[in-house]
Amino acid sequence: MWKRVLKMLVGLYLPLLALTLYLYYSQKEKQIETLEGYQIRETTMKKISFEEQCYSFLNDTHYWSTLKYPKDFDPTGKDEEFIKSYLELIKEITDYDQFRFIDLNGNEFFRAVRKGTDSLVIGGLQNKQKQPYVKAGLDLEPNQLYLSQISLNRENGVVEKPTKPVIRVVAPIFDVDQTKIGLVVINFKMKRILDKMKSKIEDTNVYLLDEDLRVISSSTLTDDLPYESDDKNGSMFGILNTNAITQKNDTSYVENDHIWSKQIIALNGTTHSFGLKSNGTSEIITPSNWLLVLEIPPSLIKSYLQPVSESLLIFNVITILGLLGFSYVFQKNIDQKEQFYKDLESKNILLTISKEKLEENNVMVTEINNSLEIRNKQLSDFNYLISHNLRAPVTSMSAIVEMIGKEKNPDVLVQLLPKLDKVSKSITNLTKDINEYVSILDKKEIKLTDINIKDLILEVKNEFTETLLDDSEFGVLLNLNAWDHLYFSKFYLQSIIHNFISNAIKYRRDNVSSHIQFKTSFENNHKVLLVSDNGIGLNLDKHGDNVFKLYKRFHRNISGKGMGLFLVKSQLEALNATISIDSKVGAGTTFKLIFEK
Amino acid sequence: MMKKSNILLVDDDDIYLYIMKNTIHQLHNELTINSFTDGEQAVEYITKCTEEKVELPEVIFLDINMPFLDGWGFLAEFKKLKPKIVKQVNIYMVSSSMLESDMKRAANFEELTGYVVKPVTKEQLTEIFKKIYHENW
Repeated sequence: MWKRVLKMLVGLYLPLLALTLYLYYSQKEKQIETLEGYQIRETTMKKISFEEQCYSFLNDTHYWSTLKYPKDFDPTGKDEEFIKSYLELIKEITDYDQFRFIDLNGNEFFRAVRKGTDSLVIGGLQNKQKQPYVKAGLDLEPNQLYLSQISLNRENGVVEKPTKPVIRVVAPIFDVDQTKIGLVVINFKMKRILDKMKSKIEDTNVYLLDEDLRVISSSTLTDDLPYESDDKNGSMFGILNTNAITQKNDTSYVENDHIWSKQIIALNGTTHSFGLKSNGTSEIITPSNWLLVLEIPPSLIKSYLQPVSESLLIFNVITILGLLGFSYVFQKNIDQKEQFYKDLESKNILLTISKEKLEENNVMVTEINNSLEIRNKQLSDFNYLISHNLRAPVTSMSAIVEMIGKEKNPDVLVQLLPKLDKVSKSITNLTKDINEYVSILDKKEIKLTDINIKDLILEVKNEFTETLLDDSEFGVLLNLNAWDHLYFSKFYLQSIIHNFISNAIKYRRDNVSSHIQFKTSFENNHKVLLVSDNGIGLNLDKHGDNVFKLYKRFHRNISGKGMGLFLVKSQLEALNATISIDSKVGAGTTFKLIFEK
Repeated sequence: MMKKSNILLVDDDDIYLYIMKNTIHQLHNELTINSFTDGEQAVEYITKCTEEKVELPEVIFLDINMPFLDGWGFLAEFKKLKPKIVKQVNIYMVSSSMLESDMKRAANFEELTGYVVKPVTKEQLTEIFKKIYHENW
């Protein structure tokens, strides 16, 4: 049964599961879409913020570029006074890490380095002519500004510890005669900028990459620019490995449940107006474009989807339990129904059996009833016989005896005595006949055998001389197609057939060729024997009641004792067979014998 | 020309007929008694009587059990002749049978005056004749 319960449960649950999964995934899709939208907006905001910061640095540097420096500018010598007021300004701007002037040969001729928050150290000039930003700076046109890569600050070729990410902005400087005298180089501290950029809402990851896809800064790393640092153990050393990054344009991308969104920060070649409008626009030169990448990791998507998946899980658990209960009850119901039908069926079978038995009994009772009725009829016949036929001579005898006793005339006495003799003889005859009748009623003595009735009829036929010759005046016809064997008393059947043939010959009509026919058939599965003749017939309206009674005779001029049909009927009834008669005066008589099954 | 009979006996038992005739004669000498040994002959006689306008007997003593036509058969035939009969005929069923079935059957025939069980005694006959002949008896 549990197998069926589980089967049903699975059948009912699978569509629900599919629906649940569909709901979950569509919900997820929607969630991702929403998140993607947020992310794109956030990326844009961060990009703008970063660009603003760059413009701010460029603006600062542009300012230094527009100053009119004295001829043969020597900030550490004759022009110390000139620079002094500016140094106060520089000191206040904490984003400045270094502030330098470099001559047209690539040698520093002024250097101010921030130590602490409010002190600058002047001096320690270095030759920077091989630095890419110096080379690029020397190539700058008057209206151009150079924005360097973000890199870790190095002193004398060695990465400064603790690491300090900086960005350098370079601009040409001119003296009062508009002669280019060198470059102004400002190192801006990027730590604050990068930290601000990396500041994130929830678990979104932020990456800033260069054009070679190297990580400059990332919310997933503690140190910026890990590829420049000696520490090669940085977890994300080199290139961020995702398809989204390699796209050339701004894009957002869902990959393995990560939502990526990338925007390019491309400042190289763009123009911007700094300071007063009258200064016109400046072109920004920078060696690299940046890529700003935001990543929503699967864990975040998952956490967004958690309420949905939790409620779906709960729904599924409840559904499974509910369906399990339902399936169990349903299957149990089916089992009970089946059991009920089985019981009903077996009861039905029992009922059918008992009904059949009852019917059998009924048939038996009917049969017994029939034979009892026959028996009853025989008894009543016997009673009739005794009260009519036996009582009459007895009363006569007693009357004569009484008369003899009273009579004194000898002549009369002589008349009376022979009467007495006659009565006694008739009583003797009657006793004989009754004895024969009683022996028939006593069924126990009857011996039954299988009888070939054709043989028997022919055998009996030969007892009558009238039938012996081929051209005899009396014919015995046989039609025994339906059946020709009978389990019966041979003695009785012989006597019965003898009586029929004898009667048919005795009561034949003159002037016709007379015959008797024996015909077999079936009626309600009973064997039936029809015995018909074309004799003188009998008026059944007059004699119907008496045909089978003892000592009844119906034809005055034909001798007979009135015993034949009475015995035939008695013999048949003794073996539960019945006889009936149909006759028409001047046409013939038919007897119908119906035997026991 | 037929002669009228007062009493008709119908019975197949010779001895009975002899005894009845004897008994009746002992009671009354002048009564004419006629007898037949079966119903058929009796019916023929009655028919003849009606045809030849001979007066019918006052009493018929009828046996039940007879060959050719029994007592019941005679009654059935008598019923058919009834329209032609003007005179009151008293028919007594006489039988050795004391069976209830026979008596019941007899009660259904309005032609019957009575039912007598054999042997018929002098006293019974006297009573019957008193009823029929009244003060003349």
